[in-house]
Amino acid sequence: MSCSHLSTAWSSAAKVRRAQEAVVSSRPFSEALVEVLYNMNQEIQSEDIDLPLTRQRAVKRVAIVVLTGERGLCGAFNNNVLKKAEARMEDLRQLGVDYTVISVGKKGNAYFQRRDYIPTERFLELAGIPTVKDSQAICDLIYSLFVAEEVDKVELVYSKFVNLVRSDPIIQTLLPMSPKGEICDVNGICVDATEDELFKLTTKEGKLTVEREKIKIEMQPFSPVVQFEQDPVQILDALLPLYLNSQILRALQESLASELAARMSAMSSATDNAIDLRKNLSMVYNRRRQAKITGEILEIVAGADALSG
Amino acid sequence: MKLARKLIWDCEVKEIILSTNSGQIGVLPNHAPINTAVDMGPLRIRLLNDQWLTAVLWSGFARIVNNEIIILGNDAELGSDIDPEEAQKALEIAEANLSKAEGTKDLGEAKLALRRARIRIEAVNWIPPSN
Repeated sequence: MSCSHLSTAWSSAAKVRRAQEAVVSSRPFSEALVEVLYNMNQEIQSEDIDLPLTRQRAVKRVAIVVLTGERGLCGAFNNNVLKKAEARMEDLRQLGVDYTVISVGKKGNAYFQRRDYIPTERFLELAGIPTVKDSQAICDLIYSLFVAEEVDKVELVYSKFVNLVRSDPIIQTLLPMSPKGEICDVNGICVDATEDELFKLTTKEGKLTVEREKIKIEMQPFSPVVQFEQDPVQILDALLPLYLNSQILRALQESLASELAARMSAMSSATDNAIDLRKNLSMVYNRRRQAKITGEILEIVAGADALSG
Repeated sequence: MKLARKLIWDCEVKEIILSTNSGQIGVLPNHAPINTAVDMGPLRIRLLNDQWLTAVLWSGFARIVNNEIIILGNDAELGSDIDPEEAQKALEIAEANLSKAEGTKDLGEAKLALRRARIRIEAVNWIPPSN
């Protein structure tokens, strides 16, 4: 029975690696985009920028995008995200600000569908590793809501991948965007678009660990010879939706990596508990009772394994 | 050509026709260096063997420097991957949705979908110039 837990943990490890590869393969695009964004901003005086996606206005209604998983058996992962979202909704209620939820992920969908009193805009599901089509669907929806002024702000609640044991739900502001592409949380703390972090799943002394590495994207300034086919502001207008999409995709990927790590951790604890339980049981000499209990554990494990499949 | 997800094209070509916000531009070797916004529309590429390829690009950005063109976009479809029947159905559905749409947001989404459907049909039906 501990073997099946271990095999689930190992298949999760393989999935974490694939999720990680997805982030790495998106990097050429995001880096090129950030570089262009940076250079475009150099060309334009910030006061001249008034684009649909950067427009700040009085916040009367907020759209909250909540990223949860498609499956359970990952410890407190989904609950932590949902708790964070609920806390944010309470904050907004206190401020007299209206809100609506866009739920991404079966677990969150089930949670919000059971609670009629929470206004929801849409329910979305992912099928496997997040793709551009998934992030595009979310992007298109929040773009239309924001530009049609049905909402004045869009926030994203998801779990950042910290390490194999911990994940950390954060709230990021998606819209309005900063023309420079800074990534800001709801407290106004911003990170430069040129700073990035790579997480790597490796082994250290035989144990699986995660290494995080801060990376600064090198900016190659545009050659002064390069001309602009349209007004630089118009070009920036074309870039920002691309940037929004890549931010959403990145969050989807990171949320998945956190979920997989949480599942591995939960399976590992379950294995340890199962080993302890077996030690104590072997002390009791009662054949029939011992056989029955062992049988039940095997059933639970097989059921859990099938569910997490 | 880079998609938000992955690099999908990396090869030498003879000529590229690109749709920008200020009209279509043809790019031949030694084109002047430019940055341009890319509009939703067809991308036509003439390969080294004079064969033409069509793709559909959704909006993005392109940069041409030193005989190298980098196109950043959210999505692209090769003309050869578009099923003509499916594209026709998509067009009909988009037209139906537009007539049903109400409100700024729905109208905006419906118009966008219709434009996408028309561009895909155009890509499938395009006949390359013979020269």
